[in-house]
Amino acid sequence: MNRKANDGMVWAEADLRGKAGRGVSARRGARSQNHPVRFWIITMMLVLTGLSTLKLR
Amino acid sequence: MLLELAQWLEQHVRAFNVFSYLTLRAVLACLTALVISFIVGPALIRKLAAYKIGQAVRDDGPQTHLVKAGTPTMGGALILVSIIVTTLLWADLSNRFVWVVLCVTVGFGAIGWVDDYRKVVHRNPKGLSARAKFFWQSVLGLGAAVFIAYSTNLPAQTEFIVPFFKQVAYPLGAIGFIVMTYFVIVGTSNAVNLTDGLDGLAIMPTVMVGSALGIFAYVAGNAVFAKYLGFPFIPGAGELTVICGAIAGAGLAFLWFNAYPAEVFMGDVGALALGAALGTIAVIVRQEIVLFIMGGVFVVETLSVMLQVASFKLTGRRIFRMAPLHHHYELKGWKENQVVVRFWIITMMLVLIGLSTLKLR
Repeated sequence: MNRKANDGMVWAEADLRGKAGRGVSARRGARSQNHPVRFWIITMMLVLTGLSTLKLR
Repeated sequence: MLLELAQWLEQHVRAFNVFSYLTLRAVLACLTALVISFIVGPALIRKLAAYKIGQAVRDDGPQTHLVKAGTPTMGGALILVSIIVTTLLWADLSNRFVWVVLCVTVGFGAIGWVDDYRKVVHRNPKGLSARAKFFWQSVLGLGAAVFIAYSTNLPAQTEFIVPFFKQVAYPLGAIGFIVMTYFVIVGTSNAVNLTDGLDGLAIMPTVMVGSALGIFAYVAGNAVFAKYLGFPFIPGAGELTVICGAIAGAGLAFLWFNAYPAEVFMGDVGALALGAALGTIAVIVRQEIVLFIMGGVFVVETLSVMLQVASFKLTGRRIFRMAPLHHHYELKGWKENQVVVRFWIITMMLVLIGLSTLKLR
């Protein structure tokens, strides 16, 4: 539950989002949107592994 | 540590010689930092949530950000742990540049940690006072600047290199070098912190700029490449390639959790530390202007805040709908994802321009 304080900030108890907090996150509907970025990261790791073959032979 | 082990094992098994190559250690550092972050990340996020370390959101910011309140923050600690452990594993620990960058990174991370801790645990929205934060940043920045200035043994190591010109380099002298180093380290640290306002916005440019600086570090530390490309040869600077690899790996793994919608924010502990690390590396490899070009997103975000404040104080009118710049575009109707990815694309272009200075001179 968000709580608006008189200090101009909106405070909320920390909650788990994503895999660990399934069903808790207020933004769980948007969760699938991070899939493209995660696929990019996997690709970068694979490219890096590929580049390491320049030296590892 | 593993380098020393490999050197000892090399006496018995020749194959271990492969670990003496900087390029391989940089790639392995990147992969090690990735693995550490992927293993530690989920546990850390659960821990941060258990300790109720959730981000507070300004109620006068974009209304779409109110749902971010409560997202675990201080995830930058994950990046710091990955970078430190990886560097200790793969870097040559007798290299003074490695220790300077590590100390600056940890020091700025500590400042950010105190600031974050007061904000989210003590529920003090001001955190560490601006004066205290600036004081400690100055102490660390000046300390690093003085150490680098007086540990250099070649005039080229304190020259101000102008990209795109092979022969243009201005000798700064000790005082000039210290002043410039101080501004680069503290400025970059705060610039990255200002940019860290949307999911993934700060970390990906940090990864890209860090990777590019790794290439510059490799060139500057290699006598043959430095001579061929017309760079000043800086003995020992090549070892920073390993730290750059660690920054790239830790940053990419953090992005896994920080991509929209973020499961964790890096907080000041990560942003200040990463910015300071980039600034210190750029200073050591004598590429301050190239850092300015490649980190253009950080520069523009900072300038937007400065212009907004100056304009409001002088004329009472705002230039942007909201500062830093990413909020301006959000209020213009861009989706958060669009702002983030477009800023990444701009950074990629700027990094390519920066890398072109390797040859275009």
